[in-house]
Amino acid sequence: MEVMSKFLIASAFMWTVPIAVLYGFNHNFFPGSASLSQEALTLWSGILAVISVNVVIVLYIISAMKEPPLEKHEPDPRFVADAKASIKQQLGPTEVDPSSDRAKQE
Amino acid sequence: MDSTMVTSSSSWGQALLRISPYTFSAIGIAISIGVSVLGAAWGIYITGSSLIGAAIKAPRITSKNLIRCYLSPLTVFAVIKLWAVAATFVIFCEAVAIYGVIVAIILQTKLDSVPKSKMYDPESMRAGYAIFASGIIVGFANLVCGLCVGIIGSSCALSDAQNSTLFVKILVIEIFGSALGLFGVIVGIIMSAQATWPTK
Repeated sequence: MEVMSKFLIASAFMWTVPIAVLYGFNHNFFPGSASLSQEALTLWSGILAVISVNVVIVLYIISAMKEPPLEKHEPDPRFVADAKASIKQQLGPTEVDPSSDRAKQE
Repeated sequence: MDSTMVTSSSSWGQALLRISPYTFSAIGIAISIGVSVLGAAWGIYITGSSLIGAAIKAPRITSKNLIRCYLSPLTVFAVIKLWAVAATFVIFCEAVAIYGVIVAIILQTKLDSVPKSKMYDPESMRAGYAIFASGIIVGFANLVCGLCVGIIGSSCALSDAQNSTLFVKILVIEIFGSALGLFGVIVGIIMSAQATWPTK
């Protein structure tokens, strides 16, 4: 479930960080944002918000690539045992007693 | 438009000019979020449905997927581990929705009230049209971007089941696809930056 939590955390960040950036610019949380003109404020807040979304995505992809490669798929052991038994049953009589097969029984 | 059309009171040109800039702004904001979310949802369900279908057939995929879907618990338990491809596609589609939200928030901060006498000034009409255009740009760019990433994701789900080495190539294509939405957002933000209403 650690995987699901990583996904949920990434999604949550993807939503909250850009909106936080936008509100930070609009309500003067960042030091220089009071002195910007309206136009520059819109441009900077918008571009930084978009960049922050992309940063979150890149971090998530990096953390996803770092996961250890998955183990090979394990077939159901009972199925494998049955399959092997059925193959052995087909081949077994011919391999073990080749001479007995040649004697035809009528 | 020639001047005779402007003076006649029942022409189409006059009708368009009489629509309040606030109407255009509101429609622009609605389109920016509404149509982007449409694109994102479309992309997610295209990717998701082919992932779930592939998960039924190929047990390897079943043990590897993470799908963002609100389905029955059975299907959710079937997908318990991270599969980088599936999750990145869903995240890319979600980014498209978030671009729409960002632009909608920016646009609604650009809405100012002007007194009634100035409502049909050229300056305020320009602001209304700029917000409208910005909303349309962002909405439709994100719509096609979401579709694009969704269709890439659905083919990638099936091909990655066969051959895991294809992931990086598909990621490159996907990044180009999501750049489309990014272009739309950038142009939309620049468009909306010049939407200044006349001061009182």
